[in-house]
This record gives sequence, C-alpha cells and structure tokens, in this order.
Amino acid sequence: MKRNIKLFGAAALVTAALPAVAPAQTGDARIALSNNYAGNSWRQAMLESWEKAGTQAVEEGVVAAADAFTTSENQATEQAAQIQNMILQGYDAIVVNAASPTALNGAIAEACDAGITVVSFDGIVTEPCAWRIAVDFKEMGRQQVEYLASRLPDGGNLLEIRGLAGVFVDDEIHAGIQQGVEEYPQFEIVGSVHGDWAQDVAQKAVAGVLPSLPEIDGVVTQGGDGYGAAQAIDAAGRDMPIIVMGNRQDEMQWWAEQRDANGYETLSLSIAPGVSTLALWVAQQILAGNEVPKDLTVPFLVVTQDTLDEALAATPEGSVANVEYSLEDAQAVIEDAKAAE
Amino acid sequence: MADATADRPSAVLSIHRRPWFWAWVASAVAFVATLMLTEGRGGGDLLSAALTFASFSAIVGIGQMFVITLGPGNVDLSIPATMTLAGTLSLKFMDGATGLILPGLAVALGVGLGAGVTNYLLIRVLRIPPIIATLSASFLYQSLAIWSNRGLRIKPPAALSDFTTGATLGVPNLALVGLGIALAAWLLLERSTFGRWISAFGQNERAARLSGVPVEFVRAVTFIGAAALAGLTGYLLASFSGGAALNMGQEYLLISIAVVVIGGCSIAGGYSNVPGIWGGALFMFLIVSMLNSYGLGAGVRLIVTGAIIIAIVAAASGKEST
Repeated sequence: MKRNIKLFGAAALVTAALPAVAPAQTGDARIALSNNYAGNSWRQAMLESWEKAGTQAVEEGVVAAADAFTTSENQATEQAAQIQNMILQGYDAIVVNAASPTALNGAIAEACDAGITVVSFDGIVTEPCAWRIAVDFKEMGRQQVEYLASRLPDGGNLLEIRGLAGVFVDDEIHAGIQQGVEEYPQFEIVGSVHGDWAQDVAQKAVAGVLPSLPEIDGVVTQGGDGYGAAQAIDAAGRDMPIIVMGNRQDEMQWWAEQRDANGYETLSLSIAPGVSTLALWVAQQILAGNEVPKDLTVPFLVVTQDTLDEALAATPEGSVANVEYSLEDAQAVIEDAKAAE
Repeated sequence: MADATADRPSAVLSIHRRPWFWAWVASAVAFVATLMLTEGRGGGDLLSAALTFASFSAIVGIGQMFVITLGPGNVDLSIPATMTLAGTLSLKFMDGATGLILPGLAVALGVGLGAGVTNYLLIRVLRIPPIIATLSASFLYQSLAIWSNRGLRIKPPAALSDFTTGATLGVPNLALVGLGIALAAWLLLERSTFGRWISAFGQNERAARLSGVPVEFVRAVTFIGAAALAGLTGYLLASFSGGAALNMGQEYLLISIAVVVIGGCSIAGGYSNVPGIWGGALFMFLIVSMLNSYGLGAGVRLIVTGAIIIAIVAAASGKEST
C-alpha cells in the first residue's frame, strides 16, 4: 500500500495531465514575488502572468499563497527591505527579480538562513544559496547575427541598437552580437546607438545618427526598440533594412503590415514575461523536495515569419508576446539543466 | 578682447554676453562636426531631426524654466509622470478616432492642469517643499497611468500621427508648435507684467511680496502652466512615436532641467531667458548625434557630454568674459 502511494506520487509528478495531484505536499506553502520595477509593458505582462498562474495554483490547492510585491523606486536598498519584510511575514519561498545582482545578497542570505527558498529570475542574484533562472542574453545577440547571415550571405552594414548603458543585460547582448560578427565577418557594425529599450528613445537616437551612416542592411536590437528604429529609418526615406525585432506587439504589427505590403521578412526573439510563472513552478518544485540544479536557463520565445500571425493574434494591443509556463514546462527546464550538468 | 571688437557694431559686441549665446554656439559646433563626417551630406535630415526632437525638450524645458525662475528649491520633478499620464489617457480616450483629436488634446491638457493644481495644493496647503511635493505626486501620476492602461500602447489617430511626423514648407510641424510656444513664453517673460512678477519672485520673494506682487498667484500659475506644457508634450510625443509607453517621459526629467541650465538661466532663479531653452534643447540632441556618429562608447559619450555642459555653463555665467 505504502509503496503504491509512492509510485502513484512519482507517476503524478511526471504526468502532464495531473498537475494538481503531485504537489499536494506544498499545499500549505506560501510563495512571494519580490519585483523591483513595474514601469514598462514587459514588467506589466510579467506581473499579470504571475497573477494568473498564482491565482490558479492557489485555487487548485497547489500552494497556499502566491503574492506579488513591487518596489516603487527600482532601488536595491528598498528591495532588500522588502525581502526582509517577507522573511518576517514567514513566506516559505521568495521569487525575486532583482534590482542588482549583488546588492541584495545580504537580504537573500538572511532569507536562506531563515530556511526560505529563494529563486531569482531575469534579474538574477549571485548569492550562492539562491537558485538562478538566467537568460542567455549573449546567445540572444549571437542568434540575431546568425539569422542575418542566413538572409544576407554576402553580409553588409549593421546598425546596432543597444539598451541602457552600464546595465549587465546591455553588455551581454552586445558581447553576443560582437561574437556573431566575429563568426560572420562579412558583417560590419557601422553605427551604434543606445535606445534604452524604449521605442521613442531608439527613434530619437537612430534619427540623429542616420545622416552620417552609409546604407544599412540589417539592424540588431535588444527588444523594445525595433519599431522606433523602423519609424526613424522610414522618416529618413531610406530603404528598409532587416530589423530583428523583440516580440513587442507594435513591432509585430508593423512587421505584419510590411509583410502584406511588400513581403518584408524578419525574425523576432525575446524572453516571454511569463518567465515569472516558470520561476513560480521552480520554487514549488524545490519546496516539494525535488532536486533542482541551482542554475537554470530560460528558453527564448522566437517569432518567425510562419508564426507571426498566431503570435500577433495572441498578444494584446501594445503588450509583448507571452507564454505562461506550466508545471511540466518547469520540469522540462529542470531536466535539461540536470542533463547539462 | 575689447580692442579687437571696439570697432564692431554694438549688437555684435554684446551678443556673446547674452546668456543663451554659448548654447547656440555649442549646438552649431556639434552640427558642423557631425556633418564633417559625411562631407556635408545629410545636413537637411539632421537639422530636421534636431528640430523635431528638440521641440519636445523645449516645450517641457520652458515649463521647467518658469518653475526654476521662482527661486531655490523650485523645480517640478513630476514632469515625466505627467507626460506619461497625459499621453496614456489621451490616447486611450481617442482610441484611434480622428474626430476625437481635439477633445483628446483637451484631455491631455486637462491632465496637465489637474497635475499642476495637485502639485500646487501640496505645496501651498500642506506646506511641502516643491521638490518633495512634485516627486511624491509623480508616483501618484505614474501609478494612475499604470492602473489606467497597464502599459498597453494604443495607436494615435492617423491624422494626428501624420501631423506630428509631418512638415510644413520643409519645417517639421512639431518645431512650429515648439517655436510658437517659445514665442508666447518669450512675450510672457520679457514683455508682460506677469513675467516681471516671476523674475521678482525668484530674485527676492519677500521683497516681491512687500512690493505688491501676488506671490501665491504667481506660484500657482507657474506650476500649473508647467504641468500643462508637460501634458501637451506627452500628447505630442505619444502621437509622434506611435503610442504612449509607461517609460516615455523618463529621460525628460533630466533634459528639462539640463536645457534650463545650458540655456544660461540662473539655477538659483530670478533670471531666465527663452532663446537659451531652444539652444539647449538643440544641443542635447546634436551632441548625442555627434558622439554617436563618431562611434564613441557610452562611457566616453557621457564624459564628453558632461564636460561640454560644464564648459557652456561656465562660459554663460560670465566668469570668463571680462
């Protein structure tokens, strides 16, 4: 009998159809989301995904609570205080999108000492006791050049739109793009501007640098900046280069319009804001006593010419293409990480 | 210096002593330096882009200039949030309908007026210093923007979008709007009683009060006017860039203060000028374009921008001209 129950439990853990049965032992667990910033559409979608998955998980009795908290000022000190409050409130796990990879380490270590499971994602922390669900931003940059090489075998001139100067993510994607250009030396980066991941800033920066640039064949971006670049290039009356997009609805909308008008083709890739739900399930898996490697990698959400209409239809106007991850997705990511170890 | 210029007409003699002179010189230098890279090609494009983007900075800068003129501690930190809220609400209200362009403008200006009145009441009724009052109010406005639309981008009506990205007789429409507002601001500051009141307030509030200047009225109109201009800019910027975004106003906090300082206005208040705002706004765009065109890294760009701003402010404050 006892053995049967164990077998049943093990089977349920890997059975896709029965997510509510497996984690019965986490039914009392309370999970908190510590979020450092909410001021753009990506973060808004991230919070919505969390709310959706969290509410469902609570209703199904998988966890007792999945509360989201966002700091107002995007400051590490403020977030550290927020995490300390969560420790006092007795959460079993804290899922954190961190304002800084290092500045929260003290608060994170306190949480670990109090026996709390800490899972960081997107904005990860370096404190060894925490789990990290990281994005391979470098690969994200490299793949853009790889795609352009498949479209333009003879290479050409690239315009690079970077993010916010001095931020880790910007350096990583930039390094990936440089690596891509080394792999495909037929490409040359002839101009580089900072678009701060915002359409209007990118539009302004590109409009300012275009007059001094030769013909552009491709634009590599970091997400949230492709539509602004397209508008600036269009306003200057130049031929439209291949602009790699970042899954924003306005970017995909523009892409679909161009495709219908003149057969425009490109690629779009980014991280789905629903990565917050992946982190939620990973935290739940750890609480359920499963062995989970400390370093996990988030899959990219890629939109191609073939999936454009589908992605566009599923994305609310003005938002960003999204998927919510399920318990099974989380288990697959964990298995991948175990296999890589 | 005096010998060399003694035989020139007096207008030329004194122009370099104008506080706004150095901002315009720096803009011209940045413009020419960028064009040297292309051997003169693309000058028209660059000028048109500069006029377009500088008009946003100029309009919020003019509002900020009036606030800063009121004297130490007077600055409006709620400009980015007011822009975001006005852009978000007005685009949501219009929802792409051409017939609602003017009512949409009224919504944006109404948001600006509401923000201005709130700012002023916090300062007056609760006696909160303007920096703290406008900063804390900005959280309120930003939250309202998030709450009202959760960051979704709604496209502006096509006619409005065409107007904001278009040009009349070769001059970008936005620049015409920005120059019109600048002209009105110049008349207000230099030729009206109200302008004298603002300057008097900034030079010495107590003396102004004792000489019969209605100081609270001046302060109220200034803060409300600045917020209304921020609302207008939010409306224009959202229409220009294809929709409102939650972070659309972010860079305009620093820019609105920078153009005031670069334009040769006294940061301590009391002495301001309007031409300098446009000079500063053009400079802030052209310097970034120039450094981007020369392919300098972000770190170098920031250092050079900082060094040039210090040089302009030092030159404009007249320490060098003896």
